[in-house]
Amino acid sequence: MAEIKTQVPVVDENGVKGQFIPKRDTKKVIIADEADTKVKTKMESKDIPFFILLIVLACVFIAPILLVLMNSFKGKLFLSNAPFAFPDGDSFVGFDNYTEGAEKIGFFGAFLTSVFITVFSVALIIVCTSMCAWFIVRVKKWYSQLLYLLCAFSMIVPFQMVMYPMTQVASNLKLNNMVGIIFVYLGFGAGLAVFMFVGFIKGVPLEIEEAAMIDGCGPVRTFFLVVFPILKPTAITVAILNAMWIWNDYLLPYLLLGASETRTLPMAIQYLRGGYGSIDMANMMAMIVLSIIPIVIFYLACQKYIIKGIVAGAVKG
Amino acid sequence: MRKLTKLTAVFMALCLSVSAVALSGCNGSDGGNTSDGGSKLSSDSKVDTSSVKEIYYLNFKPEISQKYEAIAAQYEKETGIKVKVTTAASGEYEKTLTTQMANADSAPTIFQINGPVGYENWKDYCADLKGTKLYDSLSDKSLAVTSGDGVYGIPYAVEGYGIIYNNAIMDKYFNSDKKSTEFSSMDEIRSFDNLKAVVEDMTKIKGDLGIKGVFASTSLKKGDDWRWQTHLVDVPLYYEFNTGGNALTNCLNAKELAFSGADNYKNIFDLYTNNSGTDKKQLGSKTVDESMSEFAVGDVAMVQNGNWAWGQISSTKGNVVKDTDIKYLPIYTGAEGEETQGLCIGTENYFAINSESDPAKQQASVDFLEWLFSSDYGKKAVVNELGFIAPFTTFSDNEKPTDPLAKEVLAWMEKDGITSVPWVFAGIPSEKWKNDFGADLLKYVQGQTEWAKVVENAKTSWAKEVQLKAE
Amino acid sequence: MQKAIKRWFPLFVLPTVVAFIISFIAPFIMGIYLSFTKFKTVSNAKWVGISNYTKAFQDSDFVNALWFTVKFTIVSVITINVIAFLLALLLTKSIKGTNLFRTIFFMPNLIGGIVLGYIWLMIINGVLSYFDVSITYDASYGFWGLVILMNWQLIGYMMIIYIAGIQNVSPDLLEAADIDGATNFQKLIKITVPQVMPSITICTFLTLTNSFKLFDQNLALTAGAPGTETQMLALDIYNTFYGRVDYQGVGQAKAVVFFIIVAVIALTQLYLTRSKEVES
Repeated sequence: MAEIKTQVPVVDENGVKGQFIPKRDTKKVIIADEADTKVKTKMESKDIPFFILLIVLACVFIAPILLVLMNSFKGKLFLSNAPFAFPDGDSFVGFDNYTEGAEKIGFFGAFLTSVFITVFSVALIIVCTSMCAWFIVRVKKWYSQLLYLLCAFSMIVPFQMVMYPMTQVASNLKLNNMVGIIFVYLGFGAGLAVFMFVGFIKGVPLEIEEAAMIDGCGPVRTFFLVVFPILKPTAITVAILNAMWIWNDYLLPYLLLGASETRTLPMAIQYLRGGYGSIDMANMMAMIVLSIIPIVIFYLACQKYIIKGIVAGAVKG
Repeated sequence: MRKLTKLTAVFMALCLSVSAVALSGCNGSDGGNTSDGGSKLSSDSKVDTSSVKEIYYLNFKPEISQKYEAIAAQYEKETGIKVKVTTAASGEYEKTLTTQMANADSAPTIFQINGPVGYENWKDYCADLKGTKLYDSLSDKSLAVTSGDGVYGIPYAVEGYGIIYNNAIMDKYFNSDKKSTEFSSMDEIRSFDNLKAVVEDMTKIKGDLGIKGVFASTSLKKGDDWRWQTHLVDVPLYYEFNTGGNALTNCLNAKELAFSGADNYKNIFDLYTNNSGTDKKQLGSKTVDESMSEFAVGDVAMVQNGNWAWGQISSTKGNVVKDTDIKYLPIYTGAEGEETQGLCIGTENYFAINSESDPAKQQASVDFLEWLFSSDYGKKAVVNELGFIAPFTTFSDNEKPTDPLAKEVLAWMEKDGITSVPWVFAGIPSEKWKNDFGADLLKYVQGQTEWAKVVENAKTSWAKEVQLKAE
Repeated sequence: MQKAIKRWFPLFVLPTVVAFIISFIAPFIMGIYLSFTKFKTVSNAKWVGISNYTKAFQDSDFVNALWFTVKFTIVSVITINVIAFLLALLLTKSIKGTNLFRTIFFMPNLIGGIVLGYIWLMIINGVLSYFDVSITYDASYGFWGLVILMNWQLIGYMMIIYIAGIQNVSPDLLEAADIDGATNFQKLIKITVPQVMPSITICTFLTLTNSFKLFDQNLALTAGAPGTETQMLALDIYNTFYGRVDYQGVGQAKAVVFFIIVAVIALTQLYLTRSKEVES
């Protein structure tokens, strides 16, 4: 599961040891968009072979997606016989695969389910864990310390470890539905999110908050009016990491929602394999195209944030 | 950082001890209570079901899932109770059932066990159905899955499988002037040797017959290999365990498998794969669906399968097989005395009612099944849509299935001097045995392992699985 | 101020903590306990001591999955990191269209495991169909299929981390080396590689854990076929839980072993990072 859980590596030294030290600038890694700001130098002629190499590689990288797109317009038989041929008069079936596949797996229902779960889970994670992280940093008690450690610890535990008991606990508490699963995602996302927020909040000077408090703001208003806006960069990172994970997650929703008729997109695509006796790869290709389109749009629209966020997650996480 | 490591370690140790102490205490109170929780259902003292809005049936057979949905819709129209039907993917029934049973209130209320072995696994969830009309109307009570006084599984379909052949192609062969055998009709084929002679001769002149091969592909894709690792192996198992008494019981009690029929199995399996239109290397990716289509479009003359496959054949685009041309041949393997052998007939499909679900829902589930097998609409659907040969007294003679394969099964059952082969495979110790056997068959057919090794693995795996079950 | 915030404990901390306990802490503790029991549902567990662990290690599927996973992890960690590093070197040269290339290489990373699995299933089976076989023909096909898939997915991601590392290499050092007449290769080995060591550690670790815990891709591409030969640890554990009767306890025991291995990898990484940083 969790792309997220894998982003665990380094426990930032500010984490434990540096409890009271304001966050120092890490010298290590400067995030990728530096490349954008760098002055573009002219390409030298000796670099041209490299340029060609890169173009070839880029084609190799993009080819699988184009193949999928191409095959999504071909009939089932032609797909297994000649997967690399362009669709022609015989094999071209127009949008048949799209309509057929979408009907079989209930694509649009699954799409909306995925959107619903992803949006609300991410929102809940951002709000709840940032509040929790602020509390952990500002209230220096043994229990906040313990909670922080547990969050860090949870990041190294593979999902299979808790999978079976978690499914049962969740179903006993009636969390095995579209709304309940959001709450479960909060629990699973908490580890990384709290960890990242804590890392950031430690670097936020106390003075601003104190000033706000003196001006008569209660903790709640202080948090939402003063602290939360400062957290925005980290919040974006956390949001992107969690969105990618939840959107693509298969096993957790399968275990919790499997018995109901609600399916997320990955579940719907996997269902195409089993539910109808054999895999209809042609339908499958069409559904893959449909499920990739939103990702591509999202990626092209917020590419800068995504790359930055994911790399920041890797480095800090 | 070292502090974190240390703390983590301490925490882990703490967790271990806390959980061990805290939870082992609950042992006494929690353990074992559920097994006697199974309620008894009866049609006389009815539980009030007016509160039930929905029951849930986890269907085993993908090939008839859409038909069930239509039946469910009709039932909802008549009674207002919704029947949710979900179908587990091919080869995934146990897995799906386990996943779903874990979610107490969305668990299926009607599910399916595959005989005594299945009952052993799910006995905590099987309600006693002895008092129900459904059991009462069973034409042969010995078919039900029982344990002690209780009845826990009700069979709903007698099914038969064998080698399905397309008589049109066979006639073409028998009338061909290029054939080099003496046979002139399928009635003369009464043993493996006969079959082999005909099949191999057919392969020689397949171009003239207009076929790509005699047999449809031996689908050995994972999850699609049940025709070989379960159904085909039934024949040698039957000959091995039919040594007096009930063959199935003997099989269930067998601690070891001698696999005395291994050579017979190899005979027919080799015949299938050597005379097929599909290259052996491709078999690992073939599905049952694909083999049935090959048969339906007339690319091949024979395919091993059961009467449930009629729907698959008739619904294939470009189906050329006529109702009147579709016939059955028993699976001959070269065993002694096989001239009197019939089709493999039995049932591995038993309805069970989830005893952990709400009593009213259990009752409602029984009501649905009774409706399905006794109301006019239900009976018609069972016969015509689901294609079951239903073993209930509520069906009169003119309510027997009309699809050609089911009719053929009935005809074979009634033939004089022919003994049907019972489904001994229900006594195979575990699913894992079947899956491992299927994987070995694939390796064998791809030339990656010797037949002797396949046999040896089947034997050791049997002993191991029996032992594991005993623990 | 601390006191003021503390009063709002229920609002600030409770939602997260409750969710965290329900989905992680409680199942984790139960999981450890259950690995010593025989159970079908959590409430009817019976203590059986360590027999689940012995059964787990006697299970040839588990041992096979362990080796398969280890082999797969080693191969993919090496290939991904080498290729990603070389790509990063190329992209830090003054070449036109760096941004476009970066965008393309990174994209596969955003596609989910299930979808990735089916994309490659189609392609690999397509190629193999020219040889009249399919991916389930031999375990090595599945193995290399998974390696290719993993490379396609992760190279872009790792490349970006490496780019960031390489851009951070001090230009002064490189200039000094130029003056000393160092070759490009010498500069790479003596200056660039040591300087991007932190990135290398991060990437190695990321690929390591990602490969080790692979599930979705494995399920979609081969589902373990042929037989269970290409089944990795996570999938084997899943199949033990849900596919084998009365084996939930063994599944949980396998999961604990799995957890311990992953934890050891993570702690080793932590330790290595620490000691490296101290050195530099």
